[in-house]
Amino acid sequence: MTITYVLMQNLKRNPLRTMLTAAAFALPMAVFVAAISLVVVLMKVAAHNEQELRLGVRQKTSLTNLLPEGMRRKIEALDPDRKQLRAVCGMRWFGGRVPDTKNTLTSLAVDADTFPVVYDDVGMAPEDTAKWMADRTACVAGSGVAEQYHWKVGGNIELESTVPPYLTLRFKIVKIMTSADRGNVFYFRRDYLEESYQAMGFASSRVHIFWIKCSTAEGLRALQAQIDQTFANSPEETKSEDENAFAANFTQAGGDIPGLMQAMAIVVVCIVGLVAGNTMMMSFRERIRELAVFKAIGFQSGRIFTIVLAESAMLSLIGSLAGVLPTAALLTLVPIRGLRMGPISSVEVSPVAVVVSIGIALIVGLAAGLLPAYQAMRLRSVDALRRIA
Amino acid sequence: MGAVEIELKDVRKVYYKDRIEIPVLEGLNLTVSAGEFVVLMGPSGSGKSTLLHLIGGLDSPTSGSVRVGDAQLERMTERELTSWRSRHVGFIFQMYHLVPVLTAAQNIELPLLLFRMSAAERRQRVKTALGVVGLSDRMDHRPNQLSGGQEQRVAIARAIVTDPRLILADEPTGDLDAKTSEEILELLNVLNTEFGKTILLVTHDPRAAAHGQRQLHLDKGAFYRDEAVPPRTAAVAASR
Repeated sequence: MTITYVLMQNLKRNPLRTMLTAAAFALPMAVFVAAISLVVVLMKVAAHNEQELRLGVRQKTSLTNLLPEGMRRKIEALDPDRKQLRAVCGMRWFGGRVPDTKNTLTSLAVDADTFPVVYDDVGMAPEDTAKWMADRTACVAGSGVAEQYHWKVGGNIELESTVPPYLTLRFKIVKIMTSADRGNVFYFRRDYLEESYQAMGFASSRVHIFWIKCSTAEGLRALQAQIDQTFANSPEETKSEDENAFAANFTQAGGDIPGLMQAMAIVVVCIVGLVAGNTMMMSFRERIRELAVFKAIGFQSGRIFTIVLAESAMLSLIGSLAGVLPTAALLTLVPIRGLRMGPISSVEVSPVAVVVSIGIALIVGLAAGLLPAYQAMRLRSVDALRRIA
Repeated sequence: MGAVEIELKDVRKVYYKDRIEIPVLEGLNLTVSAGEFVVLMGPSGSGKSTLLHLIGGLDSPTSGSVRVGDAQLERMTERELTSWRSRHVGFIFQMYHLVPVLTAAQNIELPLLLFRMSAAERRQRVKTALGVVGLSDRMDHRPNQLSGGQEQRVAIARAIVTDPRLILADEPTGDLDAKTSEEILELLNVLNTEFGKTILLVTHDPRAAAHGQRQLHLDKGAFYRDEAVPPRTAAVAASR
């Protein structure tokens, strides 16, 4: 028998209470590990985006306000020698979905000629580009949606738009993108969209955003200032930002979600701490006589402190593992594309997420055990024994 | 009787409650020889348990000196006292205070975790202690699977497993019926006569007191009678 064994046995003293306290750790830690894993993936995407040197130009007031496609020429004219500006690609939100399904895909109409350059990270091989340029109905789909709807390269598919004027278009798949950050994205040619609009008598020739591929980070910053300055005080004032800033703004369009999550996380951690603290306090009070006897038979105060603290830490560890391990397994084994978490089609469980979640649980567990451990350490056997005598 | 095992000189103990001084022991002097079985008797609040706690190093005197063996207790730090208790004193309480989630054997093994000892040696000691208290067949039983008398036997085994020289028993039969009490007291007699343990027993019960060799009567913090128990009484009590 060891002290660890005694600690483990102590947790069996009141199995229901132990289980409920462990569950109080397990549930928040399960959410934590999922949330942190997502954040880690987003950070990877952000790091990747930063390398891509793409500058987004949108209408200053709102992303939903369209810009005339003719602005592309004006932007290109700012760097005629193409020293910093490599290409400009107009992009328009289509909001398409597979007929008879509910989920709207991240489906975007892009300028056919510059898409392979601006989105060179999509990895279009020369033959893919040739097919893309040759067929107006060509499209490029992410591996997540392709897998979900069983799409294959060369196959014909149909999408119906969820935004006015609600047209339905047929496409031919020329490439399946494999990168995780574009798993749920669908690109097709904007000239095809414009023609279809015109056929419906719907005047357009406008885009939601221009994406500009830059040569250097310094060039990106210079162009950013230059573009906004060029269109200042015009009917089409712009706001230019790099891809990360754009993604951050886009994410926060519905409110300060990261801030809200952070506040909720703090509240949840505090509640778990209080629950665990209460449990440990009750456990200590129930065992005050036993601990007094432990001291009487020779257990030093420091050892008593460690025993009570270790029990709290062990409970938090068991609870966190009960939450973290199934969540990690679930995230690894079950694809999350059905959750429609933006362009991301898969979340890889980050070891950092696992370590941080367990670390938080341990810290909360130790903090919760601190007061009862201190009281146990200060306990005088004589007082405790006299009280119950 | 052997050498002097316990020596109290002018021991005074005062408690304070709401700044009011409450004297519990008033200048006690006591000598107990090694191997003696001493019974402390007296009404509630007379200071019996306090005296036991002072001798066991659980509390310190307000003034005076307490020597047990070679240890001068009032000069020792809390840490030293705790360490000393683990090696030299076995405590037996009225309410047993066993850990409910551990088996009888594991409860007995607890004090041995404080020593550098192999698992095999610990097992052997536990087995021996269980044999002494007559519970070899109950080693895997948890406290809730034992009777009150058996629980107290386990508590006695826990007290003797470290082979202490001194056993302090505070009303060990207070929660037991007459027959079981007799068995427990006989067991204490065995520990005293066969294993040479010095025993200090606190009790209200005159029948229990008859098992000792010497009775100390305490009232209002002072001894008013110190008498030897006639051997015949002790023998009769022991043979019951």
